[in-house]
Amino acid sequence: MDGPALELDRVTKRYGDFTAVDGLSLKVPRGCIYGFLGPNGAGKTTTLRMILDILRPTSGTIRVLGAESALEVRGRIGYLPEEKGLYKKMKAWSVIAYFAGLKGMPRLEAKRRAHELLERYGLKDFAEARTEALSKGMGQKVQVLASIAHDPDLVILDEPFSGLDPVNQGVLEEIVQDLRARGRTVLFSTHVMQHAERLCDRLVIIARGRALFDGTVPEARRVVPRVVKIETEDDPGPLRQLAAVAGLQSTGPSRWQVTLAERADPQDVLRACFERSIRLRAFDAAEPSLHDVFMALVGPSAREATFR
Amino acid sequence: MRYIWRVGWREFAENARTKGFWLGILLFPIILLVASTVPALLMAKGVSTRHFVLVDQDGAFAPAIRKALATRQANDLEEATRRMEPLPGPGGLAPRMPSTETNGPSKAPGAGHPSTARRPAWLEVPLPAGVDEKADVPTLESQLRPWLRGDRTLPPTTASPAPKLFAAIIIPRGLGQTNGVGPAIRYWGDNQADTSLRDALQRVVTDEIQSREYRALGVDPAIVAKVEARRAPVTELDPRKAEGSERVGMKDRIRQWAPSFFVYLLWVSIFAVSQMLLNSVIEEKSNRIIEVLLSSVTPHELMLGKLLGVMMTGGVMMLAWMGSIFGMALVAAILMPPTAPGGPGNIAADVTALLGSSWLLPAFGAYFVLGYIAYATVFLTVGSLCSTLKDAQNLMGPVMIVLMVPMFLMPFIPRDPNGPIATVTSWIPIYTPFVMMNRIAASPPWFDVVGTGALLVAFDVFVLWACGRIFRLAILRTGQPPRLIEMLKWIKGS
Repeated sequence: MDGPALELDRVTKRYGDFTAVDGLSLKVPRGCIYGFLGPNGAGKTTTLRMILDILRPTSGTIRVLGAESALEVRGRIGYLPEEKGLYKKMKAWSVIAYFAGLKGMPRLEAKRRAHELLERYGLKDFAEARTEALSKGMGQKVQVLASIAHDPDLVILDEPFSGLDPVNQGVLEEIVQDLRARGRTVLFSTHVMQHAERLCDRLVIIARGRALFDGTVPEARRVVPRVVKIETEDDPGPLRQLAAVAGLQSTGPSRWQVTLAERADPQDVLRACFERSIRLRAFDAAEPSLHDVFMALVGPSAREATFR
Repeated sequence: MRYIWRVGWREFAENARTKGFWLGILLFPIILLVASTVPALLMAKGVSTRHFVLVDQDGAFAPAIRKALATRQANDLEEATRRMEPLPGPGGLAPRMPSTETNGPSKAPGAGHPSTARRPAWLEVPLPAGVDEKADVPTLESQLRPWLRGDRTLPPTTASPAPKLFAAIIIPRGLGQTNGVGPAIRYWGDNQADTSLRDALQRVVTDEIQSREYRALGVDPAIVAKVEARRAPVTELDPRKAEGSERVGMKDRIRQWAPSFFVYLLWVSIFAVSQMLLNSVIEEKSNRIIEVLLSSVTPHELMLGKLLGVMMTGGVMMLAWMGSIFGMALVAAILMPPTAPGGPGNIAADVTALLGSSWLLPAFGAYFVLGYIAYATVFLTVGSLCSTLKDAQNLMGPVMIVLMVPMFLMPFIPRDPNGPIATVTSWIPIYTPFVMMNRIAASPPWFDVVGTGALLVAFDVFVLWACGRIFRLAILRTGQPPRLIEMLKWIKGS
């Protein structure tokens, strides 16, 4: 059982003429946190539903924890859907225990586990409260706990951070990291790049049902050309002659953006500035963020989708 | 199976936690208790006393009317009191009960013993001051108008401090003197709904006129009354019963009608849980809990689990109801020993014996389960198609109309349990549980029992299959319910 936790092979889902997911292939290794990034309407939720066998793909195959269908291994999978909801009249602990029970956990153990989780993640006082009495954030936390109560090998979280305040986002990141520390696989979708940047070992960026990138975060950074921002009163024109520099643009008075050639080192630019007596007021060689990568990859198509 | 059970158990536990469930369970025995005791209590307590004036211009009828009304009132009170106690048995050859409606004053047995503690239903009051008894009818009537209209009230009586005049009875001169009808009695009153006084009056005067005519013809009215009280005895026999005990008694009547009662129970319980089912599906759908559920169980398991849960809910409700009936019958049987055949104590004993021994309960159990599967599945599917309760209620309209039909059929089927209506409707699977339950007392042909049963099972399987397909697709859908054509496509599996 050392294969990938999850494997999609040319998975396509069509609704009539509309193709929601278009030949998507990916592999999620075991024990990693895998980010599923994409703009609204990219096909993230559809893909997650297909992974869970709630929807059937039009074509292509999916293997989850080595099984043909997620339902065969449902006891080892946890799922938090994008739109969150709980049984309003049920108590927090009993919702968690019920969902854990549906995953095959014995009743008494599920109850004990529910109380234990609520206590560990700061909801002890609300264990007996009906879920309709909880705030939105608390309810969402309860739901996250419900999805991991049975200690699944693979946890799928659809937009887990949306609707949470920064403190609770922190708690959630903690939960996710705890899972990884115990060797579990976490797949989560988001369009908040900071979370993905902090948490993900690997990520896939999809737009219009296709994967635009699949790899590690450092690999993702290399997708967009690296830029160095400089401020100088002098003319940085001579930098254009460097092999390391692919482009030079003014971004404001005395501000410039130097686009580096592939695999070039920003230090080369700094050295060249000294050699050419370009006096710098500022030199910013920060790595491109995932946000930059995301915008570069899906920006145009996402805009297009909005206007469609 | 484990997943179906878990879904079902949660459904049941949640339903059992609602107020509606407990209200349903408790309300039924309360209604039963109220329905069996209150009418008797009401009769004993009576409505407010009706005050009336009586003007008899000839003076020929007033004494007879007064005497007869007093007797009737006394009898009614006695009757009301007797209802609480075991009835005197009709025996085989029943003489007419002394207080039936057709009794005239002369036929009534001794004037009884009017209980002074109770308020009389009717009370004659003297004419109000200023109304001239001797005046002609139009004058008299115009003088009485203010009291009849309620513009003026009467002087206080024992029954009321400021009584309103309920009715004025004017018997004009010449009534009953010639052969034929003669002038009419003028009955004034603004309450046309309560005709008890008017009816009593008419009977009393009719009897009086008839008695006089009999006497004029030289016939003793007492003999006429005695002759009229004769009834040809009829013994009802049922060929299906064991030789020597074919006589149809109360027990057989109960046996005949008990199935109707079960049909009613079945119907009420289906109605009661339909709302719970709709609510629970729509909650899961609108809160998107459904996705989490579907990552754990298949749509089929979910549907079957919910069916199981609602069946348990309905079953517990039903058991509680039956238990309360059983309990009440038992209590009645203990409190009221079966002194006389046909008395309440005896009926209770019969009901207990009937429920305990016959095939009624097993048949009811089977039809309950099979009927529930069909209806609950449909309700569940309707719920799965809708995102809001409002949508669901719109879709439920037609289903409810279909469900009303057995209620309309109920009075007819026991009367002709193997007739064409009963036979045809019992072959319609959605009505089979109701109609067959109703027919079961009349030993329907085996072909009907087995055939309709098999058809019903097949229908249940089909409904489960077809609704399962719709449910699977509908449950994740949001927005407007799909069109019928679309649903048919889903069933066909495109």
